[in-house]
Amino acid sequence: MVDFFNVRKFTLDGLSLHIPAGERVGLLGGPGCGKTTLLKLACGLLVPEDGSVQVLGMAPSDWRKDSQPVISAYFTGLPLLDRNDTVRQGFELVRCIYHIPKKKFWEEYRVLSKRLDFTAFEHEAVKELSLGQRVRAELSAVLAVRPRLLLLDEPNAGLDENGKAALCEILSERGRRGLTVVTASSDMVGIAKLCTRFALLKDGKAAFYGSGERLRSQFVPVDEMTIVFGGELPDFGDLPVVRYKIEGNRLTLFYNSNHVTAAEILKRVLTQTEVLEVKVQKPTLESMV
Amino acid sequence: MMKFAPYFAYAKKCFLGRSAYRFDHLMNIMSTCLQIFIFWGIYRALYGGNTEVDGITLPMVATNFVLSMGLGAVFSVNDYFFPDKIHDGSIATELLRPISVPGRMIAENAGNALFNLIFRFAPALILVVLTIGISAPAGLGMFTVFLLSAMLGYGVLWVISFTVQMAAFWFVNVWSITTIKNVFVNVLSGSMIPLWFMPEWMVGVLRFTPFSSIYFTPVQIYLGQLTWQEAGLKCAVQAVWILLIYLAGDFLWKKGQKKLVVQGG
Repeated sequence: MVDFFNVRKFTLDGLSLHIPAGERVGLLGGPGCGKTTLLKLACGLLVPEDGSVQVLGMAPSDWRKDSQPVISAYFTGLPLLDRNDTVRQGFELVRCIYHIPKKKFWEEYRVLSKRLDFTAFEHEAVKELSLGQRVRAELSAVLAVRPRLLLLDEPNAGLDENGKAALCEILSERGRRGLTVVTASSDMVGIAKLCTRFALLKDGKAAFYGSGERLRSQFVPVDEMTIVFGGELPDFGDLPVVRYKIEGNRLTLFYNSNHVTAAEILKRVLTQTEVLEVKVQKPTLESMV
Repeated sequence: MMKFAPYFAYAKKCFLGRSAYRFDHLMNIMSTCLQIFIFWGIYRALYGGNTEVDGITLPMVATNFVLSMGLGAVFSVNDYFFPDKIHDGSIATELLRPISVPGRMIAENAGNALFNLIFRFAPALILVVLTIGISAPAGLGMFTVFLLSAMLGYGVLWVISFTVQMAAFWFVNVWSITTIKNVFVNVLSGSMIPLWFMPEWMVGVLRFTPFSSIYFTPVQIYLGQLTWQEAGLKCAVQAVWILLIYLAGDFLWKKGQKKLVVQGG
């Protein structure tokens, strides 16, 4: 769907990235690592200094002439609806711009406005809305045109927990039906649930690109196992454990899941003592970044 | 026809948006009338009882400023359409959409102009005709040419504004440039001081500028000061100005877009 080949632009330096159709890619990386630049390149708001960016084999800006909306983009702070319009008027304008039949569009609007919960203020002017209300309406505006590629820059900013959950649900559903999503967010919890792949930008390149599972094992492979034991304190000195903690009969082990598995540890412990309770925890993506 | 749906929507939105502010447009009618009455007073005093000066009668002068100020009230061009969009970043939103941004500006201005024509020009004209009285048009044929020329005049005004607005891509504050442009338009187009009264050399210079094409050409045609041939020629000159200035503006518009995608918003 989206191909970055050796792209150089601002902080990006030699970035190559292939995003297949139907994937939901989360962009990770510290501030100023080029997440927004990447998204702007993908919709043609920026052109690369060197290298190429293509969406379905064409320059992103060439898709604009297409009457069928292919790329839809949401950038935090970039107004999508006119300030003086009411939400509904804003959507009517969007409908006209993309030549979407009335019935189809308003049906879509009805569903989105319910799920993102903004029917209550659809007749208010956009300038009167609170940040959270505006974000809900504007996200729906980019979704309502039914693009094939959706670019989201900080979509969770301004959304409360309900809003985040609803957005996540909608995007996952659409993703299963073939929508490609690229999203940059500093809200890791939100992004983690929604994405099928992650790209970590570092020094202008994709330092990592793959599934959340692989990201976890590559960057923070430390798992945590809590064992409540009944008898003697077991001896685990020869196991490659990173560190451990003992509180009474509660033993917490931190280990690299690439070097030793939970099963191996448990087998060793069981030969030495009685185990009352076991809990294994994988690190969350949130704790990594 | 489908292609024009968004532009029609923009025009309609502007037209309806304007009608929401009743007090605002009542004040606008008043200000248009007041402007005309003040100029009427000034010129009556300047004529000091003479029926004509340099062959120009007072009713001709009155017709000139009633028409040019009236048209000025109709010819609405939002001088800050592009500057506003460039400064708040919404130009990016526009660029992502499958529509022409200058096209949107034309549509919005046209919606506004139509509103002004019906609710600002018409009432002011009726009031002025009843009180001051203006010359009748020089025949139905010439009046038709006048309407055409007036539309072309609007076109000239529009392309000048469009081109000047492109400065916003390179300058943070375009207020001064816009103001200079408006002074040029107001003074040199002959809407305040009819070009008849300008010194010979100045009229000579102005012939090579687009400003007299805005209001003065339509007024001359209205008053029947031009032969059919001259009128046709002047309309052609208007069209050429529109084309030339538009090409310059479009060149800057493309340059500006290029600047955006290279340097970022």
